[in-house]
Amino acid sequence: MRDIETKSRKSELLIILTIVIASVPMILAFSLLVLSSFSEEMVTNLKSFRPTLENWINLFQGKMAITGSIRVNIFEITLNTLIVALGVAGLVTIVSTLAGYALSRMDFRGRKHVMIALLVLHAFPGVALIVGVYLLYKLTLPQDPDLMRFYSFFYVILARGALEIPMSVWLMKGFFDAIPWEFEWSGIIDGASRITVWRKIMLPLVKPGILAVALFAFIAGWQDIIYVRTFLIDQTLATFIESNIESEFSHMPLIAAAGTLYLLPTIVFFLIAQRILLQGYSGGLKG
Amino acid sequence: MRVYGIVEGARRINDIWKENGVNVRIVITDKRYVSSFQDAYEEFLSKQPLGQAGDFFVNSYVYIPTLAEEGYILDITNYAKAYGKLIDDFYPTLIKACEYKGRLYGLPQDTEARPLYVRKDVAEKIGLDVKTLPEKVRAGEFTWKDVYYWAKKAKDEGYVEWGLIHRKGSAHPDLIQFIFAFGGKLYDEKTGKLVLDVPAVYKWLFVEWKFARDGLIPKDMMAWDWAKQIHPTIVEGKTLFDIGGTWYWTEWQMKKYYHGRSLTPEEVKEWFAYTLFPAGEKGDKPVTLSQPFVWMINSKAGQQNPKYDELKDIYHELAFLVIVKASDPDINAIHSIISAHLPVRKEAAKLLKDETWLEELKRMNVDLDPTVKQNIKDIVEKTVNPINAQFLANVSYMLEYTHLAPAHPKYPALADIFTDAVDKVLRGEMTPEKAVEYVIQKVKADPDLSKNVEIVGKIPENWTFP
Amino acid sequence: MLVMVLIFYLIPLVMTVYLSFTSMKNWNVKYLFDLVGFYNYHRLFYMFQHDPSFKAIVLTTIVFILITLVVNVFGGLGLALGTFFLSDIVGSKFRLLWLLPRIAPIAVYSLVWYYFFHETSIGTLNSILMELGIIHQPIPWGQIIPWGAWSVIIFVNGLVGVSFGMIVFTSALNQIPKELVIAARVDGASAWTISKRILIPLLKWHLLYVLTWQFLSLLTTYCHLFLLVEWNLVNRDYGTTLALYVYNTAFLGGELDQGLAAAVILSVIGVSGGFLTLKLLGFEKMMKRPRGDV
Repeated sequence: MRDIETKSRKSELLIILTIVIASVPMILAFSLLVLSSFSEEMVTNLKSFRPTLENWINLFQGKMAITGSIRVNIFEITLNTLIVALGVAGLVTIVSTLAGYALSRMDFRGRKHVMIALLVLHAFPGVALIVGVYLLYKLTLPQDPDLMRFYSFFYVILARGALEIPMSVWLMKGFFDAIPWEFEWSGIIDGASRITVWRKIMLPLVKPGILAVALFAFIAGWQDIIYVRTFLIDQTLATFIESNIESEFSHMPLIAAAGTLYLLPTIVFFLIAQRILLQGYSGGLKG
Repeated sequence: MRVYGIVEGARRINDIWKENGVNVRIVITDKRYVSSFQDAYEEFLSKQPLGQAGDFFVNSYVYIPTLAEEGYILDITNYAKAYGKLIDDFYPTLIKACEYKGRLYGLPQDTEARPLYVRKDVAEKIGLDVKTLPEKVRAGEFTWKDVYYWAKKAKDEGYVEWGLIHRKGSAHPDLIQFIFAFGGKLYDEKTGKLVLDVPAVYKWLFVEWKFARDGLIPKDMMAWDWAKQIHPTIVEGKTLFDIGGTWYWTEWQMKKYYHGRSLTPEEVKEWFAYTLFPAGEKGDKPVTLSQPFVWMINSKAGQQNPKYDELKDIYHELAFLVIVKASDPDINAIHSIISAHLPVRKEAAKLLKDETWLEELKRMNVDLDPTVKQNIKDIVEKTVNPINAQFLANVSYMLEYTHLAPAHPKYPALADIFTDAVDKVLRGEMTPEKAVEYVIQKVKADPDLSKNVEIVGKIPENWTFP
Repeated sequence: MLVMVLIFYLIPLVMTVYLSFTSMKNWNVKYLFDLVGFYNYHRLFYMFQHDPSFKAIVLTTIVFILITLVVNVFGGLGLALGTFFLSDIVGSKFRLLWLLPRIAPIAVYSLVWYYFFHETSIGTLNSILMELGIIHQPIPWGQIIPWGAWSVIIFVNGLVGVSFGMIVFTSALNQIPKELVIAARVDGASAWTISKRILIPLLKWHLLYVLTWQFLSLLTTYCHLFLLVEWNLVNRDYGTTLALYVYNTAFLGGELDQGLAAAVILSVIGVSGGFLTLKLLGFEKMMKRPRGDV
């Protein structure tokens, strides 16, 4: 939080200190992961670090298993993952901002029941629904091979996105609720339509909420395994890592490198999304 | 190399066609390799009905019954008839593993044995003669009681930290060798049910328990880390015995387990002797365990062609030809030597004994697809040498003693319970008696499992170990 | 939204319930009409009664959910409030750090903690403590039953859940007009008073949301536990929750029917749990009529 001159330095330091102490195990654990990706064996204590770039070189050349000696195109795999993650994020954000608004502002019959129903749906984990989703997929699958590949992306995004919908709608409703009705009212009095009000007035105000929803959806798409493995013809990073971690034969530092590579895009997404969505946001009441 | 077999097989057929002026080409578009076979299987399982799975599938033989039952893989019995000579060249146990209800569903791709490795320098210090050891084990004279005796001696005299090291995390496949070694069964062919052989399981758990109580095997063995603990402990000579697999031989040459470096082939040969998995006690037989990998053909192979209905038979026959070619002796031999898996056919075994061929291979002077060559170059350089070839030749007799884990869909659930029990006896949380009761209780608690598992025998009274 | 929910939730949901009465397996439609009645349910309940590990699993589930939930909600709230009072740049660094557990691939995340809590001297925690001379023998963290195993699984899952609360609360805080806070500051209120008097009351909906949501997630998911148990890092009985248990028994070997029945049972528990939470937290009052209609 910026621009508060009255805040005390001392309390800020105290807060930082507390959080740092709480974060120590995590900082340690994740630094060791990154460090391991540059080492010949997993770094778990000071003795085991022996620097090498081999893991990263092998990763970019797509050489995963020593006895398999087959190469994969890691960039293509990353791109696939990105398509799914961005697709899910976009879809979920749009649907949930609309639906969240509706549930927050419009008084239709069964509104409360919709909310509860959404909650109930969350109690069904994705893995339980997958058989049904699978049968639908089987029914709608096009026969043409190229189309099939495209459709598999499309379907994964829709199906995986749907899993995030209840959670996102609930979240967005909360954000819309927090905005005083007067804001909207003033717009409507000025003669703007409901949609315009939603777009021009409400959306900018719920930016923090949009950020949260987009972030969660992106992460969900980025790390999904079960849906991707079942429907998507191509591989994604998550399925790729998961299926190579079987511990007897895999070279763990290479997995560490893949894991680090895997973390980067999400971090970038977080930073960019935060900048775009929170930039210029002053949050004040105007008028 | 496992996956490249198919690439190479397709290329060879293309070449033959080219020579004969046939204007058709096979193009292998997608090659996957994942190290988790279970994952690969599950992916195939869900994608096959969608027509999204690959045309060829190489995986463990244990999946054949399920896949065949569901009609997901092609019955190749009729195609194979024309290739009687080829089929006869495979080791019969392996072909048997590819059969389900009398029909053939695949061709073996590779297999392995699980020897007991003995550290030679330690053995010498305590007076264990490793030269005659393999023979003694083979004759059933050297049993697990002797393993215990020597392990204890080596530890007591301070030459090693541990007497025995084995795998972590799972009882399958290495540890269930104990069941066979104590003359037990895991599967009853007559009833088609799994068997919980109580005496054999009890003896197995007792051995583990006893070893751990006397500090010969780590109590937390099941939680050890492969790369940081298990392999370094073995190659650095901190244990006299270890239950491993043939692939350890080259793995030690590829990965840096020995004080930050890998071993040379000479070192591996000089430091380690290997025997069959010894008999449990006098009167039992030594064993080993294999899990052959098998080429299978998707029953929907070729389906993406619009004229699939007319061409179906041709596609299937063609697919069969591709896996026949992928089983060519040289392809099989190359895969064997670079991964220290055992060849599946006699012709390939012969090649491995052929020193000129090895020399040519080392110089990459072989008939292989250029990309395949490129990709296996490094590993060939490291692994192809007479010592490794000799090793493979030396262990191949073990296949005569091999057992296969049952290809029963409920077997993984049973094996999981075994894993639990081993962990508990090693840690001393349970005595072997208690652990056996625990296993029985667990089996009975699951109606599905108890329907499929026959519990035979009782805990033997007055049985002692060592 | 409704269409999506209908297609990807309601229809599959009905199918799931239906299929849990068939012998569906191996993704093969030929089992679609092979009805087996209550067999799948019967098997699970039978196992609940006879499995020697079941008591430990129920106990673990209860302790695990309660403590992790508290850690998640209060940890998330604490972090959100803490970073709220920091400058944006520092605050967002911390938030990013705490987001890592959630964005890491589950297998890699489990691997990280596998090495961290490993019971021998290769484990990071053990090696640090031994280096410092605090202990002389490695401690088998995950094998001390029950609290050692519980601590490990709660710790590992707690970190994942904290980020959820943190992001939701932070976003909600960002939405609160800053004038409110600044005004309070000018009046000389401390961070603590501001949080207690102004911020937390405004976060009520979000608190309800996070609490209910995390509760359901903890009840029905198992992915962050699976590998810890699989790799023997924690004791099997005291590291397994009900969700993990039913999936382990049901999905081993591609038997979808059993898995579906298990999911239905879990969902029923989840739904009743969800309703209970909502009642306790006064959901009705919060769903007041909107003032949205013109």
